[in-house]
Amino acid sequence: MLRLLENQLLKEKVYMSQIAPGLEVFVLPKKGYVKKYVTYAANFGSIDSRFIVEGEDKELSVPDGVAHFLEHKLFEDEDGNVFDRFARLGASSNAFTNFNNTAYLFSCTDYFTECLELLLDFVQTPYFTAESVEKEKGIIEQEIRMYEDNPQWRIFFNLLAAMYKEHPVRVDIAGTVESIRQIDKDVLYKCYRTFYHPSNMALFVVGDVDPGRVLEQVEANISKRNYKELGEIKRIYPSEPTELGQDFVRQELVVSQPLLNLGFKERDLGYQGERLFKKELATNLVLDVVFGSSSKLYNELYEEGLIDDEFDAGYVAEQDYGHTIIGGETVDPDRLSERLAEGIKEAKKNGISEAQFEHYRRKAMGEFLKSFNSLEFIANNFLAYHFRQINFFTYLDVLQSVSLDDVNSRLHQHLVEDYMVSSLILPKKG
Amino acid sequence: MPTYMRSRLANGINLFIHPTVKFKTILVQLIFHRSLREDDVTESSLLPSVLQRGSGNYPNRMAIAHRLEELYGTELITGVTKKGERQMVTFTLDLVHDQYLPGESSLLKKALEVLKDVVTNPVLVGESFKEDYVAQEKEQHEKLIKGLINDKIAYSVERCLQHMCKDEPFGVFKYGSVERLKAIDGPTLYSYYRHFLKASPADLHISGDLDTASVLSLVQQIFGFERGEEENVAATTVKREIGDVRYVREELDVSQGKLVLGYRTGVTYADDDYFPLLVYNGILGSFPHSKLFQNVREKASLAYYAYSRLEKHKGLMLISSGIEVDNYERALEIINQQLSDMTRGDFTKEDLENTRSGLRNQFLMEEDNQGSVINRVLDDMLAGREENTAELLKRLAAVTSDDVARISANVCLDTVYFLTKRGGAK
Repeated sequence: MLRLLENQLLKEKVYMSQIAPGLEVFVLPKKGYVKKYVTYAANFGSIDSRFIVEGEDKELSVPDGVAHFLEHKLFEDEDGNVFDRFARLGASSNAFTNFNNTAYLFSCTDYFTECLELLLDFVQTPYFTAESVEKEKGIIEQEIRMYEDNPQWRIFFNLLAAMYKEHPVRVDIAGTVESIRQIDKDVLYKCYRTFYHPSNMALFVVGDVDPGRVLEQVEANISKRNYKELGEIKRIYPSEPTELGQDFVRQELVVSQPLLNLGFKERDLGYQGERLFKKELATNLVLDVVFGSSSKLYNELYEEGLIDDEFDAGYVAEQDYGHTIIGGETVDPDRLSERLAEGIKEAKKNGISEAQFEHYRRKAMGEFLKSFNSLEFIANNFLAYHFRQINFFTYLDVLQSVSLDDVNSRLHQHLVEDYMVSSLILPKKG
Repeated sequence: MPTYMRSRLANGINLFIHPTVKFKTILVQLIFHRSLREDDVTESSLLPSVLQRGSGNYPNRMAIAHRLEELYGTELITGVTKKGERQMVTFTLDLVHDQYLPGESSLLKKALEVLKDVVTNPVLVGESFKEDYVAQEKEQHEKLIKGLINDKIAYSVERCLQHMCKDEPFGVFKYGSVERLKAIDGPTLYSYYRHFLKASPADLHISGDLDTASVLSLVQQIFGFERGEEENVAATTVKREIGDVRYVREELDVSQGKLVLGYRTGVTYADDDYFPLLVYNGILGSFPHSKLFQNVREKASLAYYAYSRLEKHKGLMLISSGIEVDNYERALEIINQQLSDMTRGDFTKEDLENTRSGLRNQFLMEEDNQGSVINRVLDDMLAGREENTAELLKRLAAVTSDDVARISANVCLDTVYFLTKRGGAK
């Protein structure tokens, strides 16, 4: 059954279908584009580190970094390297793992059908050997080392590790050099069997393609594999207390000047779908009003030399966790921290006005429309939101449904000093 | 296929209109061209930040930002890039096409007016920029120059190039130097700006679902300001002769070592040999199926990334990889081995064809991105190439194994740069 969803303002259509045993497939035709971009994603990310495998009753706790490790290893099978096969088709392939999902993707101009078949095939054909798993450890170790020298990356993960006491979002996506050493092929197979079932996955195709044919092809590929229905995946997330782990964390690195990030921990949790989407959009409007590049606060800080134009504020909304992170490079982190706290206090005192609210809503609308040039943006976001039970096409409608009261109450509820972490990177001496 | 309308405004600005119905946006790029040289690179790279501090109609940064937001989140982005020994100062507008905005009809005009005001109508005090704007932007610029070290990958590549081209204009850092920055003040920068605006060759690109005739008249009306005689931009020198390989080692307190190798190829995008070189570079290191990725990463597990890339206007090739510092010798040996395999023609028919298809894919995909289309036109102008995508693809299709083996003789190692741990391996 092909369902059609149309967005009048965007002038885009997306075709959707659920293919037995439960794979969600989306096709968005982009007339005139020569590129086709496809992403095939599993609802399995770095935070899924404790779960109960189908048919067993004991909980399994896997080493940190398994989802990411598995992503690397799926690119190899009995016949060698998957990159080579995409290369033969002139296509380029890649993958990424984040806290919540793992996505496999390719972009091509020719041989679309062959590329799609290859993507479906390789993701559904795990092949792990002791030897190839060992070999991968050196590569991932260097990936981890690379991030150890990256100040933006470090300040971010240090902040999450301080903010959360229990939730696995506090752990680096790639794990640590020590944790990945514990990974073997058995644990990879266990994770694969649990999470790489079609009903825990979704496929997004965007480009100048025929939706009917895409659906047929995917259906034929999936149906020949005789999947059984998947029982419930029991994911175990520890209960995260409201309070912070620590309110301050610092590290020294070779940098030209300090970096400061302030993080605010979400307390309004536990839901998905439109309600979650609305909270996300309302919070982003708050951040734009208070910290955006046309805000009074931003411009004062800029003129005082406390921030540069990379200064940024962003919000993340998931069912079981959420946080705002604000910051950037600064000559004086203490002073910046103070000034930001004052700015928040003042914003709360004044409240957000109708005019400000409409102004930033208009900006958000334009930014959303602009982003629909990018095939990657469309596909990656559509799936990331899909796994949170959100239809990304509803963005503009949900944005319209946000009220001035919503943003004002988010301002007061969310930006609260008691739930604020400071993460600091300082220049290493000598 | 990049098809565009080109014309020249009375003041010498080259106008390129790229009509296309594919995109939801209109992309505008106003590009000023300068010779890359120590004398004024600091000024030219500082200038856009000072201009963004305020203009006649929008007296401060906040007013500009507010106006752009009002225009449905139109972005005004400035940047400096170097292509060969040419510095390009670019002002970019990225805006929604108003056919997606019910009730809105002249967004492009409004956005161009902001751009024009920012570029040509700065806030002045007599014959000077506002001193506090200049002082603050000098401070920001100094942080930008010093901040290169925060990204160890970009830092190591830049350091390798600086050593390699230290006696050539190409070795000049695109943001200039802290030393030269100190000498700049409101009046000197303003006098530089007047010269810059009048004498720099300039291009204006506009891409989107546009009627060329009405855009032309709009641009004539908005960007018709007076300019003077244009200065020439010096041609990039392509150095071919090389002495002994230079080995440079730098110590920092880092977790991972960065190995960067700089080569001279003697071949630029203007030469017909560019296509064999492009294929050479592809087989060697610009894809996951390439020799560097396969041997340094997949077989030896020494690195997460290992790639090569070309600087197409200066005739250089760079290899970059992040490794454990103790593996320096091994990584270098494996990389050298890949280069000598290339020279011996030791690559398969499949390597060649996979690379050719990958490159073909890249050329074709450029047409799905407005910025890439404009960038191609820029590269073509610089190299004096007048070929459309189909013709470029024909050249790519004609490259043989023999061509690739022949071109490998051109690729000469110049500099080996290694960023290592304090007290780490050599």
